Amino acid sequence: MFTAVLIANRGEIALRVARTCRELGIRTVAVHSTADRDSAVVRFADESVHIGPSASRRSYLHIPSLIEAARQTGAEAIHPGYGFLSEDPDFAEICQVNGITFIGPPAELMQQLGDKAMARTLMAQAGLPVLPGSDGALTGPGEAEAVARQVGCPVILKAVAGGGGRGMAVVRALDELPRAFTETRAHARTVFGDERLYLERFVDDARHIEVQVLCDGHGSAVHLGERDCSVQRRHQKLIEESPGPSLTPELREAVCAAAVKGALAVGYVGAATFEFVLAPSGEFYLMEINCRLQVEHPVTEMVTGIDIVREQLTIAAGLPLTLRQEDVQPRGVALECRVNAEDPARDFTPTPGLLTEFVPPGGQFVRVDTHAYPGWYVGPDYDSLLAKTVVWAPDRAQALARMDRALSEFRIDGTGLRTTVGFLRQVLAHPDFRSAQHTTGLVEAMGRRRVG
Amino acid sequence: MIPNTDQHSQDDAVLPTSGPADLESVCRSVAELARAAPKAPSRIKLRHGSTTVEMEWTAAPAADRPAPAEAGPEQPPALPADGLDHLCAPMVGTFYHSREPGTPPLVSVGDLVRPGQAVGILEVMKMMSTIEADRSGRVVEILVPDAQAVEYQQRLIALEPLVPAEDG
Repeated sequence: MFTAVLIANRGEIALRVARTCRELGIRTVAVHSTADRDSAVVRFADESVHIGPSASRRSYLHIPSLIEAARQTGAEAIHPGYGFLSEDPDFAEICQVNGITFIGPPAELMQQLGDKAMARTLMAQAGLPVLPGSDGALTGPGEAEAVARQVGCPVILKAVAGGGGRGMAVVRALDELPRAFTETRAHARTVFGDERLYLERFVDDARHIEVQVLCDGHGSAVHLGERDCSVQRRHQKLIEESPGPSLTPELREAVCAAAVKGALAVGYVGAATFEFVLAPSGEFYLMEINCRLQVEHPVTEMVTGIDIVREQLTIAAGLPLTLRQEDVQPRGVALECRVNAEDPARDFTPTPGLLTEFVPPGGQFVRVDTHAYPGWYVGPDYDSLLAKTVVWAPDRAQALARMDRALSEFRIDGTGLRTTVGFLRQVLAHPDFRSAQHTTGLVEAMGRRRVG
Repeated sequence: MIPNTDQHSQDDAVLPTSGPADLESVCRSVAELARAAPKAPSRIKLRHGSTTVEMEWTAAPAADRPAPAEAGPEQPPALPADGLDHLCAPMVGTFYHSREPGTPPLVSVGDLVRPGQAVGILEVMKMMSTIEADRSGRVVEILVPDAQAVEYQQRLIALEPLVPAEDG
């Protein structure tokens, strides 16, 4: 096992990774930008290095500074968290060249699976169901139209290098396609530096189901069950739960087995998430594979009792998985709500500001992963996630009641600051969510009703 | 290269001046320095013979690190209370005093530096880059030993700012 690990991230996830390292007796090295000099992980870590100014591209995305910081502090491995460089194959490769273990899959594999069009092709070859669509990246609007005509509208255009819910557009009629193509391509070029797009059929009233997989470097793979992440706004998740409330045991078995099959087919190493679209008909299709720790990993941890970061570290250290599939016995229901510093009344616009009051909930079976504290400045430089609130209960009804109780305990105040707490409670109370009939269109529908 | 001043305050400032200076010009410099400081010095000691000036400020508690609350991230650097400027590391890396091992340091205490002048070398991932001064001043102290790891914005060299007449 490693003796020192550098955490190339910030916010709640940096602290969450550092906590597992501490439990394993691993020395933790935090890196921070100027804005984060007083952050929770800087206070928690054994050592910290100031790597750059607030702008991410000169700090958390600046590879030379991260490598130097690891070298200076004697860190043998780097945990990238999520976002930032967590899915950057160049970073993984540079770590390797510099004799530092990147905690994630090998660079080459990350390159292949990070290219969503290629991942689609690889998984189709492995026998996983994928939605009908383009074969690899589209050559231009002409091919997009030909493919759309073939698979039938609605279709979704997606950036090959996309992620985090950005760089995609749903097209409901063929005459909308040329404009959507131009706009999405421009967006992809700006945000991801890669303008390539692909296209597949879009499933209305779908649910978003994803499977957590762990693979060691010795050919073993297990799944940790699924998460339902259907409550989304602008393709970004707000509420996640495990198990998926709409899955029959047979369907659960099938989707989890498909994920493991896909992971083994490409020789995956590390933690991965296989994202599927579940159609109202009960058919499921692979959407994409995420080669990193997911924001919502705690719901899986709560039902399985397995610390996923610990497993990542063990796998990265080259050790075999000690878990067998039969050891993974999910129990009860876990739910996560993302409390963001955003204004739901203004289309979830981020609201930076100084936290004058911050009291997170507590009590039985409540876990809050947060880096916030009174006096913390929620800056404009980074994402708006403030506190992941996770609860566990023996069944879904108790979990919903517990989550509502937990959210009601939050005391958050700050100049200019708004949060999603009230909105999340509205979703929890929504009949479609309570009865688990909701789809990825729920938040949008709630917005329409509020406006109309 | 973006060497920068920062706003750490020190309790005492010692300004050794070099060369012959008449009492009047020393007094003028002292008065200017006192005015430029965010608060008035609590004590000034002046010795005329090979000229030494000492100024003292009572330490403000926790003035050292402004809370993000009052300041927010990356506020423009205020004038340092001790009257010194600092050249800071533009990146995480290893700081070297000279271009090659065994060669003389690029600057030494007492040297006058000009904007754009090489004052040190920073090694980042085996790449050597020159650290240039972004202002003029007289080197008062080299704060980091040769071949030592530094972090972003770590103070490397303390400079005594030049009075305008000397600068021009």
